[in-house]
Amino acid sequence: MNVDNKKDIPWLCDKCKKELVLHKVKVRYLEGNFEVELLKCPECNMVFIDEELATGKMLEVEKGLEDK
Amino acid sequence: MDRIKVVSKTESLCPVCMRKIDAQIFTRGNKAYMDKYCPEHGSFRVITWKGRISIQNWVRDKERAYIKKPSTPVDKGCPFDCGLCSGHRQHTCTALIEVTERCNLHCAYCFANSNAAKGEDPSLERIKLQYESVMKASGKCNIQLSGGEPTVRDDLPEIIRMGTALGFAFIQVNTNGIRLGEDENYVKELKAAGLSSIYLQFDGTSDLIYKKLRGKELLKVKKAAVDNCKKHGIGIVLVPTLVPGVNTGNIGEIIDFALEHAPAVRGVHFQPVSYFGRVPNIPSDEDRITLPEVMEEIERQTGGRIKTQSLKPPGCENALCSFHGSYLVDDRKKLISVTNRSCCCSNEKAEEGAVKAKEYVSRNWSYPIEGSMKDKQDPGKISDWDKILYRINKNTFSISAMAFQDVWNLDLERLRDCCIHVVSPDGRLIPFCIYNITDSEGRYLYRR
Repeated sequence: MNVDNKKDIPWLCDKCKKELVLHKVKVRYLEGNFEVELLKCPECNMVFIDEELATGKMLEVEKGLEDK
Repeated sequence: MDRIKVVSKTESLCPVCMRKIDAQIFTRGNKAYMDKYCPEHGSFRVITWKGRISIQNWVRDKERAYIKKPSTPVDKGCPFDCGLCSGHRQHTCTALIEVTERCNLHCAYCFANSNAAKGEDPSLERIKLQYESVMKASGKCNIQLSGGEPTVRDDLPEIIRMGTALGFAFIQVNTNGIRLGEDENYVKELKAAGLSSIYLQFDGTSDLIYKKLRGKELLKVKKAAVDNCKKHGIGIVLVPTLVPGVNTGNIGEIIDFALEHAPAVRGVHFQPVSYFGRVPNIPSDEDRITLPEVMEEIERQTGGRIKTQSLKPPGCENALCSFHGSYLVDDRKKLISVTNRSCCCSNEKAEEGAVKAKEYVSRNWSYPIEGSMKDKQDPGKISDWDKILYRINKNTFSISAMAFQDVWNLDLERLRDCCIHVVSPDGRLIPFCIYNITDSEGRYLYRR
């Protein structure tokens, strides 16, 4: 999925049918707490993480904290 | 009276004649001991574990990673065929190349028994052959240049360049820091040559400690070495040798010093004293500090800022050889534990453990990458994720320890899992402890 090409098309929450909005979200991984801006449903608070982010920066962060 | 419980049966060596003998590890109360018997030289008992953390709960089951390309055949049996042989169960994580036998100190404890006058330095050709042997047997593992004191060589930058040119991405120098503290230009040259990190002998924050262990007051020069490496972007790992009655009460202050100098100081790596090479005496149990005791002292001396629960057994080497904890340092120098303990419940693969350990050391013991934020010309384009990456890179800090084995407490089960290998002058890879092991008279089994 290439989000860049579709960035003008709004994402809708499948459950609530509400348009997702950018919102600061608290992310926790291995006791590390971080705040990031992510698309979120204003109704049910479900967060959307696209493939590019999951396999890109988010994976980089995970690897940066990777243990041995 | 506490009940005796056998934990494991293993093999060891007789400290007098070095023949292989049966041994067993047993617990009594919160202590574990090794018992062994040589038909010629009698019984030996040594403490191996002491404290609240039980030895049984510490063990991490791993699927062994037998050596795919053994360099030496199995002939006389472990530990007499090292090279590595097909009986070895772990790959190389760090390969040590000794670039000199000379040293500008004469410490009371020295695994290599180095001194000022010792031997001729290996040639650059010899060192190249050693690098190539590592690459052939173990691929691009981490390299530690050791000795002797590597910085007595003026051509150390050349040796580092040679390693980086051959493809080794992480090169660390094991050093007492004297030259690094006194000669800033040399530090600059080492950095330019590609040095990632120094493994700095740092036994404490008082000169009394250095007088006892190293024969000299060295605190000032150690601090200067830290400042020079910080200035030129070389990661620093502080390495205290812990000797009961000398510096085991200084653990908290060493950690505070390290945090004061983070992120240039990337962590503290404690080494409970081992009795091989040059040592002042044959040890009694009181002359030893075991890993659980170190963990408890860390918690006690940091006032609970570092909890024993944040420290865990290794996924690479044998669980009884080390512990480590990973942290993020916040703006107030508070440590946030990011150690993942959940991984220890299932059966893991030792091979994966070695890969992770290599990456972890390379990432967490190098100087934090500079400019990862500066590269982004447009501040508007710096995403929250970039900021997190920058924070992780800059603020990771590790606390770890490795308990080396000597002839008194050698457990061949642990030795077979070793991932720290010394490259012998002829290019064989020999587990660090057995390379340095000496009998009760100070005679080496492998080191010449």
